This record gives sequence, structure tokens and C-alpha cells, in this order.
Amino acid sequence: MTAGDVVDRVRKNLGVPWRETTFRDTFKAGGPDTTVTGIATTVFASFDMIQRAVAAGLNMIVPHEVTFWNDRDDVSIVSADPLYREKADFLTRHNVVIFRMHDHMHDQRPDFTYVGSARELGLEAKYETAPGSHRFIVPETTLGALAGALQRRLGARALRVVGDPNARISRIQLGVGYATPAVNGAGIDVVISGEQQEVDGFLDSPEYVLDAASLGIPKGWIMLGHAVSEESGMLEMAQWIRTFVSEVPVQLVKAGEPFWSPQFPPAK
Amino acid sequence: MKRLSRREFVRLSTAGAVASPFVLDPAALGAAAPTAQEVVDRIRKSLGVSWKPDTVDTFKAGDPSTVVTGVVTTSLATIDVLRRAVKAGANMVITSGPTFYSRTDSPMPPAGRGRGAAASPPADPVFVAKNEFIKTNNLVVWRFSDHWRLRTPDPFAQGIVDALGWGKHPAGSTPGHISVPAVTLETLVADVTAKLGARGGMRIIGNPRTRLQTIAVLPGTVPIQAALIHLPRVDAIVAGEIREWESSEYVRDAITANRDKALILVGRTLSEDRGMSVCAQWLGTIVPETPVRWLPAGDPYWRPAV
Repeated sequence: MTAGDVVDRVRKNLGVPWRETTFRDTFKAGGPDTTVTGIATTVFASFDMIQRAVAAGLNMIVPHEVTFWNDRDDVSIVSADPLYREKADFLTRHNVVIFRMHDHMHDQRPDFTYVGSARELGLEAKYETAPGSHRFIVPETTLGALAGALQRRLGARALRVVGDPNARISRIQLGVGYATPAVNGAGIDVVISGEQQEVDGFLDSPEYVLDAASLGIPKGWIMLGHAVSEESGMLEMAQWIRTFVSEVPVQLVKAGEPFWSPQFPPAK
Repeated sequence: MKRLSRREFVRLSTAGAVASPFVLDPAALGAAAPTAQEVVDRIRKSLGVSWKPDTVDTFKAGDPSTVVTGVVTTSLATIDVLRRAVKAGANMVITSGPTFYSRTDSPMPPAGRGRGAAASPPADPVFVAKNEFIKTNNLVVWRFSDHWRLRTPDPFAQGIVDALGWGKHPAGSTPGHISVPAVTLETLVADVTAKLGARGGMRIIGNPRTRLQTIAVLPGTVPIQAALIHLPRVDAIVAGEIREWESSEYVRDAITANRDKALILVGRTLSEDRGMSVCAQWLGTIVPETPVRWLPAGDPYWRPAV
């Protein structure tokens, strides 16, 4: 089968209309005529992840995020860098085709990024106030205990937390990737998400939570990192593609967390 | 209490180890104390940077005609910093970050995105308390971000360079590029952590045993366009924050392609902390009537222990 066949089936099975104007969900390498040997879903089409996919015999990559280090995968921004040429040459040499699934993954119901993240974090459906609310009321705990439990579950090296570790919390609003809810929302104790700019945004949650802590108001902000936050849902994406692609193997090939920290250095 | 001269005060407080409050000498200050507006006027006149018509560098709270009893500089005007300023006898806070949690710095919460303003939302207790604290203590808050970073050399970079003791290794021709005696990434990370007072905000990409000699110091937010310019010319970038679909993936790919590179992210606020210490030293020279001190905002983040 060709990559075009795969994309046709994705569009047909999506359950929501295709955004014809999307600049994200397009081919980033190869094209519809490329013959597919296997499909790898991932959060980032990192150079390392691509090499592992190729070694596993999977030449079609479906990343949620970018290939060439900018949201539009605008090659004109990066093409002067020799690293771009090396990565692009590798893709050509190994007949790799990349088709991003971002906007439509978030349009789809359920949005697998939330499903995967909740699964990985252990936020059980019975705690969600309503399906798709992404709001979970869990048995009361402390911010410190919650963050510690999440860190151990994920094995994440660079998770970041703002707030009083002793703050008693139970109402969690889950965000994914850069779609991080504002922490001052009504009825929210803790926001768990991927990434958000630290200041100069719409509502700067780090500063807000620092001030809440100074006032004794229980609030918390837990940033998993963009890759950790959205990679889990790429397992659901692989499982979903398998329901309509049986000709080739389909599997998650993790890009993984890019960062380490002084508290959690890389394995020696 | 021992009285300090202005020079001593600035020297001691910017060394970061002094917890003493302001020591005001009424005879020296007296009626000559400037208003907050006059402090800003002097900054604009002395900075050597032309003022932008569209800028975040404006008063965020308080009355600009307030006579200034002391100036505090900081990278983030948190309630904690405001409390420490009051305790130190200062009533003017100059911050490189926002006060009211957004670029617009509106003293009231923003209306819900895409939902329009709620009919009569309950007052946000954090906004309410911060406004009240500022009012009760007659504080004036002024933001100094857009123009302070236009100084040459970039004071935010200079603050980090000074804190790390890199001043004696002058860079070549490129601002922010520093040469250091060869050091492993692991050692550099430990050094940056200790000297900037990082807690949980540090995030690193690179092999801990990679040896580094050239470093680009890029405080604030670093877009991919900047990373593309700097990374090929240095071994490591020390930055505030990046977008995680941009520079962090670029550095990760460079390492996969066998380039010995590294990225150290300290967080936006911590990356600007020391630059506001530089600001306090500079303000001391243009506002000699009033004590000026830097209050570090610190690293907002922590991380669960093993």
C-alpha cells in the first residue's frame, strides 16, 4: 500500500471533516506515492526516532509534532543548516514518508492525546466529571504526593512543579501539549499539562501559583513536558490506525523525553 | 543598626547574601527623594536606548507621583517579592516580568477565552489580594523589560556571566558568547545550578560527559531562529526557555548527528533574575537619593525527589 492509501483511510475513518487549509497535517517527507513497509506513530519525528523506525522496517512515520523544528515545518527557516540537509538526506535515502497528525488528532473524539495522557497518569475515567471534560476529582491528596506519584509512574526526568507541596488538592484539570488550561479557572486546584510559556502569556500560571501559595490558597501547576504529555496518546493513534490498516505493521516508536535534570541525570 | 553608604548597600545587597533591610539616612534623602515618575524619567534619559512607542515598560500599579522611599528590582513582582520590598522599606518595584500574570498586566483576571465575560464571576482571590497589598502599602510597580534588554551588552546575559564568574573570559566578537576552560556538561550544570540558585526549573539536553568550551548565554525566550544562529558556533546554549517543538528538538537532533552540543534551560524568570541585579547597580548611579536593591525572585519550580 502507499502512504496516500493510508492517509485516505485516516481521513475516511476520522469521524470529523478534514481541514483542507491545515498546514500541519501534511506530508513532511516523501509523498502519497511512497510504498509503505510499516507505520510508526510518535510524538516528534526526531532524528533518533526516525533511525529507530527505519531499523525496525517502518518507513512511514506519523508524528503528532514537527520534523524540522518549527510548527509549519517551513524548510526555508532551517535549510541553511547542514543538520537539516543530513536529516532530509537520511529520509530520502531510506525512502521515509512522514505525515503529521496534529490538528485532526485534536479534532477527533475522543482526542487520543487526552486519552493517552490520562491513562499514563493513572487518572481513571471514574474520576472524570464528564467524558471529555478533562476534569478529574480525585481523592484529596497533597500536591507533593501527587507530583511524586506522577514522577514515579512516568519515570520523567524533567517534570516541573509550582506550588506548595503541602497544598491539599483534589480537582485536576488536564491539558495536553501546549494547550495548557489557566490555573485560575473556577474549581481548579491543579493543572497538569505539557508546556506553557512561563510569562507574558494569557494567564501566567507559574506566577499565579506562586502568589496563591504565598496567600495559602491551594493551587498547583505540573508541567510534564510537551513530549511526555503527548507521546502516550500516540499508542492510541497506532491502535486506531491498525483498525483500518492490516497490510503493514503499525506501532508506537517513542521519541521519548528530550530532557534530563540535576535530580534525574541520564543513566550512566 | 549600622548605617551603610549607598555604595556599600548596593555592593552588599547585589552580592545576594545580605538580608538587612534598607538603612535610610533621612538627612541625605530628605526632600530630594524623587517620585516614581521621576525615576522612570531618569531611566529613559540615561539608558541610551530609544524608547519604543509600543512597550510593556509602563506603570502596572500605584501612583507615579508617589515619593520613592526605596527601589527594589526583581525579575518577577510576586507577592513574596512585594512583601520583602515593603519589609525593606521600599515602595517602588521595578520588575522585568509581569505583575498581574499576563503580558497585558490587567489588574483584573482576563475574561474566559472564547467564552466572553462571565455575567458576574466571583472575584479571583489572588488578584484581589495582590491589588489590596499594593494599595495598602502604597506601592508603585513599573515594568522594565523591553528596553533593559536592549542595552549593550545585554544586562540579562551579563548578570548570568557575572554570577558564573565568567567575566574574566571575554567573548570574541559575538555578544553573549563566552569561552571557558574546558568543562563537562555535568560540571557546568552543577555550577549553574549552584550559582543561579536553581531548584526544579533546570532542564538539560546533552551527554553529561561532553566537554564544553564555548557557551552562548541567551536569557529569556529563545526562538528557533536564534538557536539556528548560535548553536553551530558554540558547544552549549544556556537559555531561559524555548518552545519544545523548536530549539530543544533541534539540539536533540544535533546530538543524534554526532555533534557535541548541549542545551541548558534554567527557566525564563531565573534567567532574568541576575540581570535585575545588574539593573539595581545601574539604578544606584542614576538615582543616588534613594536606596536601590535587588530582590531575587528565584526559581519558581521544584521537582519531586527520587
